[in-house]
Amino acid sequence: MKKRSAYSFLALLLTASAALLNGCKHDADSQPSTGSVAFELKNVVGQQPLALDGTAYTTAGGETFTVNTFEYYISNVKLTKSDGTTYAAPNEYHLINTAKPGSSSFTVGNVPAGDYTGVSFVVGVDSTTTKGDPLALTGDLNPANSMYWAWNTGHIFLKLEGTVTSTSPNKPFTCHIGGYRQPLSAIVTATPSLNGATLPVRASQVPKLSIAADVLKIFDGPTKFTLSNFPTTMMPSAASVQVANNYAAGMFSVTQVQPNSK
Amino acid sequence: MVYGLAKNPPDAATFELGRQLFYDARLSSDGTVSCGSCHRQAAAFAHAGQRLSPGVAGRRATRNAPALQNLRWRRSFMADGGVLGLELQTLAPLTSPAEMNTPLADALAKLNADPVYRRRFAAIYGPGPIDTPQFLRALAQFTAALTSADSRYDQYVRHEAGGTLTAPELRGRALFAAKCSGCHATDLFSDDSFRNNGLDRTFTRDSGRAHITSRATDRGRFRVPSLRNVARTAPYMHDGRFATLPQVLAHYAHGVQPSPTLDPLLRRPDGRLGIPLSRQQQADLLAFLHTLTDQEFLTTPRLAPPRVELGRAESAPLAARN
Repeated sequence: MKKRSAYSFLALLLTASAALLNGCKHDADSQPSTGSVAFELKNVVGQQPLALDGTAYTTAGGETFTVNTFEYYISNVKLTKSDGTTYAAPNEYHLINTAKPGSSSFTVGNVPAGDYTGVSFVVGVDSTTTKGDPLALTGDLNPANSMYWAWNTGHIFLKLEGTVTSTSPNKPFTCHIGGYRQPLSAIVTATPSLNGATLPVRASQVPKLSIAADVLKIFDGPTKFTLSNFPTTMMPSAASVQVANNYAAGMFSVTQVQPNSK
Repeated sequence: MVYGLAKNPPDAATFELGRQLFYDARLSSDGTVSCGSCHRQAAAFAHAGQRLSPGVAGRRATRNAPALQNLRWRRSFMADGGVLGLELQTLAPLTSPAEMNTPLADALAKLNADPVYRRRFAAIYGPGPIDTPQFLRALAQFTAALTSADSRYDQYVRHEAGGTLTAPELRGRALFAAKCSGCHATDLFSDDSFRNNGLDRTFTRDSGRAHITSRATDRGRFRVPSLRNVARTAPYMHDGRFATLPQVLAHYAHGVQPSPTLDPLLRRPDGRLGIPLSRQQQADLLAFLHTLTDQEFLTTPRLAPPRVELGRAESAPLAARN
């Protein structure tokens, strides 16, 4: 036992010296080791920007529609380095609302410096937060934003409302996706490719990621919907899970990576 | 989650503000319905005689207004358990189109437009606009304070003056312990679980707990309600189908319907359904259930609609339209 204690002490001493040396080195460099990444979302329909002014858009199948509401949450942003290590940004909950242009950009801070080659995020709000302390629901998570189900506690992850104009008579559609309970959990993660680009995170520069969110991909993904039978979803259902898998698979695409937007 | 009392420490001013909000019909879209319209003190904050209570413009929701009592100890709310906190429960009837029909943002706008509310909230929470957490906290101070614990049964259990039970009531109490307390457990008279009590064979109109969980095993399961003040909370069941307590007891005695999710406690070893109860036993149980009536809770002015205070000339009429 005595011998073991001596070794333990030695190990402790070595650890302490190492920490001390590292500390000195850090001070000498005086390089803060974190930076930020700016995100900018642009809501589009195919090649056109999305407008809520009655502009009619056409699907791949030739149906036409207008949009009056398009909102969704982006949360749990994760950045991946080329060596596979990841940084999961805590407390990032962003409500992107087409009707509020200011809501389409946000910045993730405290990112460890490094070169990042991958990004992912949850489209929606994780169950821990959505079920958590109701008195902490402020800002983008505030139930007053109307992205919230009062009867089935939790946020609406994505809301698309509009009118199909290629049917006679025209047909309004309501798509509210939410729910975190299996088997109908609609919590999905999007992983848009950076197309080989790198996000160089430094204290001195803020790389910026421009991402397009294409409404058409909500109808056209692993599940193909025609607008005339696009389901009305206002509660968790098999169809709402299909819609969520569609937008996770293809709605988000990176259009530009700027090394520095500062 | 169970109400976090420590996060919203009770104080008189916030309780009174919550009481004002509870009884304020202006929070509904057309100014006709307050929380207190369908949750009335004399009925333990249920709605006596109303199978389905009218909301704005006479609209009807799909379920009977439940009694509100001892909510502090509940893990979830609504007959299907869809709402996960006492503070959040406010939002369901407030925003439901068939009840008060007011989006939360509109309710906050109404409160912020009222100088009296602005002053009362500011006195508690400091200056600045009235926000969601303030509104939910204030209302919860009132709903969390709806404690019923002073019935003759309680006085009997606590060996207090007046706490005597008659022979039929005592027989009923023993029967209750043997035949009912499997679900209506503890002195809250509910185990806060969701069970299918055999009302129907299918549940196409209201699937109950399955509406929230989407699980077939939850079809037809509804919250076990507390039986405190049960003699005052008619009609009964999630849809208010039974007008009287004798009808409820008769259901358990010989009305239970089979379905895949029927609660095991309602399946007898001989394959028959329900709870065997003779007429005499039903009468004794009825006598016991009446001992759960808490007159103090049903009548205390502390929980009644607040009187409009004098000297508030700038304020709109605040009394609820009951």
